[in-house]
Order: sequence, then structure tokens, then C-alpha cells
Amino acid sequence: MAIKRLFVANRGEIALRIVRAAQALGIETVVAVSDADRDTAAARLADRAIVLGPAAASKSYLDPRLIVHAAKESGCDGLHPGYGFLSERAILPRLCAEYGIAFVGPEPDVIDELGDKLRARAMAKAAGVPLVPGSDCVATAADARREGDRIGYPVLLKASAGGGGRGMVIANNGDEAEAGFHRASAEAVAAFGDGTLFMERFVPLARHVEVQLMGDGRGTVVHFGERDCSVQRRYQKLIEEAPCAAMPDHLRAQLHQSAVNLAASVNYRNAGTAEFLYDVKREEFYFIEVNARIQVEHPVSEMISGFDLVQEQIRIAGGAPLSIAQKDVVLSGHAIECRINAEDVYRDFLPSPGRITRWEPPVGPGIRLDSHMSTGAMIPPFYDSMVGKLIVHGTDRSDAIARLANAIDALVVEGVPTTLELHRAIIAHPDFVANRIHTRWLEQVFLPGFGKKAA
Amino acid sequence: MTESLFPDALKILLEEFTRSGIRELHVRKADFELFLSTEPSSSRVGSIAAPVSEAPVPAAPSAGAAKASAPVAPAPAPAGALPDNAVIVKAPNLGTFYRAPKPGAANYVEVGSVVKAGDELCLIEVMKLFTALRAETSGRIHSVLVEDGAMVEGGQPLFALVGE
Repeated sequence: MAIKRLFVANRGEIALRIVRAAQALGIETVVAVSDADRDTAAARLADRAIVLGPAAASKSYLDPRLIVHAAKESGCDGLHPGYGFLSERAILPRLCAEYGIAFVGPEPDVIDELGDKLRARAMAKAAGVPLVPGSDCVATAADARREGDRIGYPVLLKASAGGGGRGMVIANNGDEAEAGFHRASAEAVAAFGDGTLFMERFVPLARHVEVQLMGDGRGTVVHFGERDCSVQRRYQKLIEEAPCAAMPDHLRAQLHQSAVNLAASVNYRNAGTAEFLYDVKREEFYFIEVNARIQVEHPVSEMISGFDLVQEQIRIAGGAPLSIAQKDVVLSGHAIECRINAEDVYRDFLPSPGRITRWEPPVGPGIRLDSHMSTGAMIPPFYDSMVGKLIVHGTDRSDAIARLANAIDALVVEGVPTTLELHRAIIAHPDFVANRIHTRWLEQVFLPGFGKKAA
Repeated sequence: MTESLFPDALKILLEEFTRSGIRELHVRKADFELFLSTEPSSSRVGSIAAPVSEAPVPAAPSAGAAKASAPVAPAPAPAGALPDNAVIVKAPNLGTFYRAPKPGAANYVEVGSVVKAGDELCLIEVMKLFTALRAETSGRIHSVLVEDGAMVEGGQPLFALVGE
């Protein structure tokens, strides 16, 4: 049954995004807020805002019982978890089910299975999705050489009991694999009391690519193309693009098919993203994980496909079949998103909450700003520092970069330091312009130079 | 995360307070109390600066009720609704407000009841988990601000206490 009143169990820009999507569908909205978020854009726009509890997320946005209690008592028949917070905790849809509230997301059992990395890998393997080539346990130096030869160099020798990089050695050939075995095994014994090793292919120049999926829960899955999220700092994405311009078309088609097969194999319902490592040199991709939620960077897929993914999420959760067939998904142009964080890039990205004293969005064709900010808005210190996402759509990648540069220049934010200046510098860098980047590029190549220039 | 950032929160609060032109601010919650004043002679710790009243919230509004929309923040009461020295007991979090330990039992407190610190005042239920709310100070129950069985929001005023 179609959702009539939707509970929004999140905050910030995604709460506002969900409220707007629901309103476009004629659905009432109730937004959950913490004490610190009473006066936020989503709370004002929604039909009702309900204070869950104190500012601390553990006592508000991260308490599934508080949230479902509030949803039930405010007469909601649907609940959207957004991203982060409880969005991938199976307890939320389980509690929703107890009260007949439709959860905007996958089945709780599917969330559990995908959340377990080993089980997710097994599911991917069963669906014929490529994994990073690797070995079982390696017992001797001779085994290490044989496995290394089979997997292809460079390889990573890793301690089974490991973590934190200890007991980890990179080998570029058979001799290094043998020598590396002795070293890694000794390190592993010293660190963990267990010298068991396994091996995995090491991808020195990897890109992060991911496929946007939407399933109906009955085995039909549609994809909306891939995104490239290789500009990362400490595994946090800063810039996301669609499509992955560095990927040849034949590989792109395989990537999409792999992602669809994986999701279809579990009768995936609602929005999800299959993440992959793309080995540019070998032209191969390997499964990483599935994110069972709408993602921060979903707008770039919306820009190149023209579909509203959040509206589709809400419709599916209300029991509707997919309104989009694969043949309807025609991707055009290139989109780039940058995440605007209230952080001081010159002080090691220190989160910098405070009041926005001036906020003037850019306007123009192909520009979209997803943000809950405005002049006078407050960024409380309790949550993540993202204040918005600036997204542009151009005819191709270089057109999109030019538009993004203009949009960043036109966006005025005062009152708190933001990462806008950093984004402006990244997209002007010759490596970014030539698309010669990888997941370690920002930290290894760009930031050292950026820091020096700033000093 | 929150605790480590607390000095930031305090800094922001101070800035907000200075900007706002408010003369006095008094916050009291669990083992935390904060009193800000621009008046050098002020010493109103132990009472509340601005009286507040309930925000009426229906327990389970019908389809149209949410449109009418309960206010996001409790609305200030007309001046003089509560005595100047009233201490407001607020809900620590969202939940269903119950005045008695179980259906049919006597209420924990009535208007006029005298309570001391630690006495149970009501239950707040969150998905069948019942938590007793206890008085932090002694006093007499001046008023009960919420209907039994209603949903209350985090921070919503529940009782007004006056000193004996």
C-alpha cells in the first residue's frame, strides 16, 4: 500500500532531500530531530518535527526504539533511514515490521547478509562477480611463490589474524614472495602469535567505481550506471563523478551486469550500491561490498539519468513495482559532485562547526546544490561536518569540470571554513583534468603539494 | 564524539547567547546546570528564567492531524502562567508519558503532592521499555503539563514543581 505519511529518521541535507521527494509524491512527512536540530530546514519544511531527545546521536538518531516509537505515535506508515546513522542496521526494519511501518530499504535479512563481508563475498562469488584474486592459507615459502605466480604480481602477503598493516608485505616477484613469506610470517607470529598468511593481488593504481542499483524485491534490478569516487581522503569520498570516464565501454557493460546479477541473486529491494575496485592497468574490476542504502553521492547518477532515485525508493517501499525499466535508463553527459564540509583544510581538516553568516548558492543551467544551509543556519558540533553537495551536469567531463569551477566560484559561504577552496584546487590540477587519478592520489600526490602552497 | 566536542558546544552556546541579546539563560539537565546572565547582580540559580508550558501532542494523530502540526519547540506560556520560582521537569527523551506504574494503579504524583529528590514522578515508555523519571529537587507538584498516555518529545515540560 502506498505510503501516506513518511517518517524521516535522519538529519541534514538528506532529511531535506527526503522531505522534498515525499512532498513531490503528495506524501506527508514527519522529521525526527534531536534537541540540537529543532530549527533546521527539514524540520521547518516537514508537516511536523518531533524531538527525539538530546543532541548526542546515541540518545536520538542512533536509538532505533526511540525512532520507531516516534514513527508509530506520529501515525507514520513509512520510514526512510537516509544514509549513515541506522540506515544499514537491520534492527530498524525489524522494529518497523513489528508495527506495520514500511521501511524504505532492503529486507533486514539482506542487510545482515550484505553487512557481513565474508558472506557478501561468498554471495558475490556465487553470482559470478569477480573478487580480488587471492589464496587460501599459505604454509611455506614455496607455497607463497607458487601462489604468487598463479595470482600475478604484485601480491600482498597478509596475516590471517592481522590488522593495522602489521604482518603485511608487498612482493613484486617470486623471490620477493619467498623472502616476504619469512618476514611477514615472523611479524605475524610476533604481533598476533599466529604466523598463518594468505595472499591477495595488490592493486597499486586502483579506482573506486560503484554501480547504482534499484530492485523491486522480486528479482528485477535496474542499474543507473556507475560512479567514480576515486578522490578520497582516509577512505572518505570527496568528489564523485558519473560515469567513470576512465573505463572502456566493454568493461562498463560487464561491471553493470555483475552488479545487477549480484543484487538480483538476493532479490534485492530498493536502492543499493555495489562497490568495486577498478584495476586500471589490468582493466579488471573486483567486488568490494554492497551498500544497502541510498548513498551521499546518488545525485550524480540522477543528473546523468534524469530519474529521482529517492522518489523511486519511496514508491517501491509503498509496494509499487519499479516504475523504470532498464531500457528507459538512458545516461547522458557527465556529472560531478563535491562534498562541502565545514572543515579547515589548513588545520588537518579540523571540523569547524558554527554559524553560517552568508550563504549564496550559485545559479545556472546544470547546477544543483543539495544543502540544508542558509544564511544564519547553525552547524552543530555533534554530527558530521557535511554542509552540502554541489553537483554539476555537463555535456562531457571537461564541460562538467568547467561548470563546477564556475559554480564553486559563485557559491559564497561565510562564517565557517569549508572544503570549497580545496575542491577548486583539485579540479584545476592537471592530474584531475587528465583523469590520471587513483584512490591514493589525493593523499600521496595532491595534498602534500597543497599543504606546502598553503604554508 | 559528543563529549569530546563539548567545549565547542559551550563556545557556540556562549556566542549564541551574546548575539541573541537574551539577558539570562538557565539550563538544567540531569547532573548538568548552566546559568548565563548579562546582569552583574544576577543570582537566579535554582529557579528557571523563563516559564514554559506544555506543547500539546496527540498520542496518535489521525491522518489530518499532523498537518495541523504540533510546534517544533514548546511554545512559551503567557506570562504568569506558572510561578516565577517554578522548576520545570522535562522529558529526557521522546516516549509515551504514563503517570502510574501500571494501568489502574494510583498515579505516582498528583497536583499538590510533595516530592523529594529521587522520588518517581512518571514513566516514559519507548517501545515497551519503561523508564522511571525521578525528581531532581524537592518541591510540591504545582501542575502536570501532559495528559496521561500522550507521546512526549525530548525536552518537553512534564511537571512544574515549586519549592516548599
